[in-house]
Amino acid sequence: MSKHLLEVKNLTVEFHTGEGITRAVDNVSFTIDEGETVGLVGESGSGKSVTSLAIMDLIPKPPGKITQGEILFQGKDIVTATDSEMRGLRGNDISMIFQEPMTALNPLFKVGSQICESIILHQKVGKKEAWNKALELMHQVGIPNPKNRAHSYPHELSGGQKQRICIAMAIACSPKLLICDEPTTALDVTIQKQVLELIANLQKVHKMGVLFITHDLGVIGDIADDVLVLYKSKLVEHDNVKKIFTNATHPYTKGLLSCRPGIKHNPRRLLTVSDYVDAEGNEKIVPAKALEPFEKSFDFNDKENPVLLEIKNLKTYYPIKAGFFRKTIAHVKAVDDVSFDIRRGTTYGLVGESGCGKTTLGRSILRLVEPTEGQVIYNGVDVTDLNSTDLRNLRSKMQIIFQDPYSSLNPRMTISQILTEPMEIHNIGSNKKERLELAKALVNRVDLEQNHLARYPHQFSGGQRQRIAIARALAVNPEFIICDESVSALDVSVQAQVLNLLQDLQEERNLTYIFISHDLSVVNYISDYVGVMFQGKLVEYGTAKEVYTNPRMAYTKNLLEAIPKGIPKTV
Amino acid sequence: MEKEYSLWADAFRRLAKNKIALISLVIVVIYAIIAILVSLGLLAGNWAEEVGPENVAPTAEYLLGTDFLGRDVLRKVIYGTQVAMTVGFFSCVIAIPIGVTLGAVAGYFGGFVDEIIVWFYTTFASIPYLMMLISISYVMERGLKSMCIALGVTSWVGLCRLVRGEVIKHRNRDYVQAVTSLGGGHAKKLFQHILPNIFHLVIINASLRFQSAIKSEVILSYLGLGVQGTPSWGKMIDDAKQDLMQGQWWQLAGATLAMFFIVLALNILGDALRDALDPKLKGQES
Repeated sequence: MSKHLLEVKNLTVEFHTGEGITRAVDNVSFTIDEGETVGLVGESGSGKSVTSLAIMDLIPKPPGKITQGEILFQGKDIVTATDSEMRGLRGNDISMIFQEPMTALNPLFKVGSQICESIILHQKVGKKEAWNKALELMHQVGIPNPKNRAHSYPHELSGGQKQRICIAMAIACSPKLLICDEPTTALDVTIQKQVLELIANLQKVHKMGVLFITHDLGVIGDIADDVLVLYKSKLVEHDNVKKIFTNATHPYTKGLLSCRPGIKHNPRRLLTVSDYVDAEGNEKIVPAKALEPFEKSFDFNDKENPVLLEIKNLKTYYPIKAGFFRKTIAHVKAVDDVSFDIRRGTTYGLVGESGCGKTTLGRSILRLVEPTEGQVIYNGVDVTDLNSTDLRNLRSKMQIIFQDPYSSLNPRMTISQILTEPMEIHNIGSNKKERLELAKALVNRVDLEQNHLARYPHQFSGGQRQRIAIARALAVNPEFIICDESVSALDVSVQAQVLNLLQDLQEERNLTYIFISHDLSVVNYISDYVGVMFQGKLVEYGTAKEVYTNPRMAYTKNLLEAIPKGIPKTV
Repeated sequence: MEKEYSLWADAFRRLAKNKIALISLVIVVIYAIIAILVSLGLLAGNWAEEVGPENVAPTAEYLLGTDFLGRDVLRKVIYGTQVAMTVGFFSCVIAIPIGVTLGAVAGYFGGFVDEIIVWFYTTFASIPYLMMLISISYVMERGLKSMCIALGVTSWVGLCRLVRGEVIKHRNRDYVQAVTSLGGGHAKKLFQHILPNIFHLVIINASLRFQSAIKSEVILSYLGLGVQGTPSWGKMIDDAKQDLMQGQWWQLAGATLAMFFIVLALNILGDALRDALDPKLKGQES
């Protein structure tokens, strides 16, 4: 009998599809002991989710196939276990928390009964007893007033509360192993901090082994004991968390560690994973540009630099209608009396939790959403006052890059169509050939290849798509770009590349950005000024340095404290 | 190096992998060719000819037997193909533009325009469909033309609803917002961006509409509102009422089988098209 709680030996998982065989996990071995947290890090497609699914025996077969290795849970091999044996294990001894609490809960059932379900299934207790146990669990995961909340449906709870419910379901049967698959990626930093603390506490109480999967090394530093790094389906590094952070050996890990912008010091250009991995012999890898310590210094009242965009008392309200005649009974104040200026060539970072109105503010400035009141003065012209023809002409100056590169590109158009369309609208380039040349220059500029022009968006990865979206915004030679969570959907390593690209473009073309994000470290890295939004209002603003080193509002302080330090507690 | 396909070429490649769908496509094409040959007078033009004794059961000479006037049932079935395909085709040609235009306009502009269009089609849909068909057939002269129009005019509501819903879903997607921010106008957004993204639904809908029109033709002809003077599957089934009493099944069997194959083929094809054209499924595969 092995002494480890979980022992994965030489695990290899392949997917056999019509197109060929893909090896998703290649010869991976590791162990998890009781009460230990093992972090599993890697970018999307590196095989980390497949590994966790293999442990739950949830790999879709076919096309998936475990071709080699064994997974011993308390000495018993999961790979050869029968279906009914696995059903006994799942949710009972091994349970899992998923990334999206919105989709992991069934919208048609009360959360209380969803927790009861697994208790009744595995513990053979009556309904009433299970309900009481569920209330106790909800109390344990920190849901206030469980008696009332148990009767809520998932849509009535916030994202953080839903994730707590998922955790309550997962620990309902006191599992010995808890698998967390990116449980905090979809949550705001403040909520993320609470959820991480909750998982750590529960682990102590229940002495569980935890496998914590994430693409964010910052989170791992806060929670894990051991770290596994997966890269291209292979386990490239496996060590104590302290050693990983101080003395990583594999270039990919080094890259991951340095590509994430920090809160204190940042280089002019972020290092990317490819700076490390592609470098020959992994020795001479540090580009000189990246080493320059960089601090932007801007004077708020710099008379030389004209104000490009001035926002005055901007309000965007959505009416709440009710009753038979759909009378407006109240308003949702998405943007409530916001004013600020941006000078040419600078970046204004907007931060805040989801639902604070930062996206609506961005869209109101461009009049993608009609503002209710106030003025947006761009270069002396009031945008809110323009008729549709003038607005359309002005649009070439003001652009937006959206969050989700999967939905912001028309799936039925090739890249060259996507890039030349805006040129046609604004009469840039005199004929098709000229426009195609311009498009070629654009794809080169965003580091894609010319033969990509004939392809469709679905043939690209997320990072590449975001580059295409950037190229499209650049096609009309804008002066001002709103980046709406433009890097939030990307892996950390890809995020660094896109941020570098945005920085370079700003220098080259003297672009002005509004950078909207919930990620405070990214905003700190890229912004000159920062505004913090809370419930539709701009509650704090100043230069990035001022806001980050000396926040005045309690809300900002909370936000800043919640950022994962990215440093293990023991270091 | 991954091969590059356009989305439509890719869809066809996937359709071609599905054997049953491919057979269905071939059946539809054969029916279409027969219909064209008949209307050019190259096939079954001599359906009215008396070829032998009346009411002969199927033999090697008369594959589907003869009717009460001694006419060849097979020739009548073939001739009826033309009626069926014409009805299917033209009812689609009428219904699809109405449904797509109204649905797209309602969904895209919303507000007052939407309310009017929704009111219009809900009112329209509340009139029993058969009553409408009958009244249109009576107002116009009975025959092929009025039947096509009647079926076309009564069958756009479902498509209109579908298109309206899809356009509403797409109009706030980021890619459409991106076109707005690039300065694209309403026509550009609607015709170049939104419609191409929902057009696969229209095609799938058309394949299902086609076969339901064929079935409706049979019902109308059975009610005596169908084509006059020439054979159609509906009329043959109507005629077969009397034949069946005397144990003569071949007229009914001929028309029903002919209809069965085309309806089945179109149904399978519709399903296969849905799988091949849906961009959502594509994302999952890659």
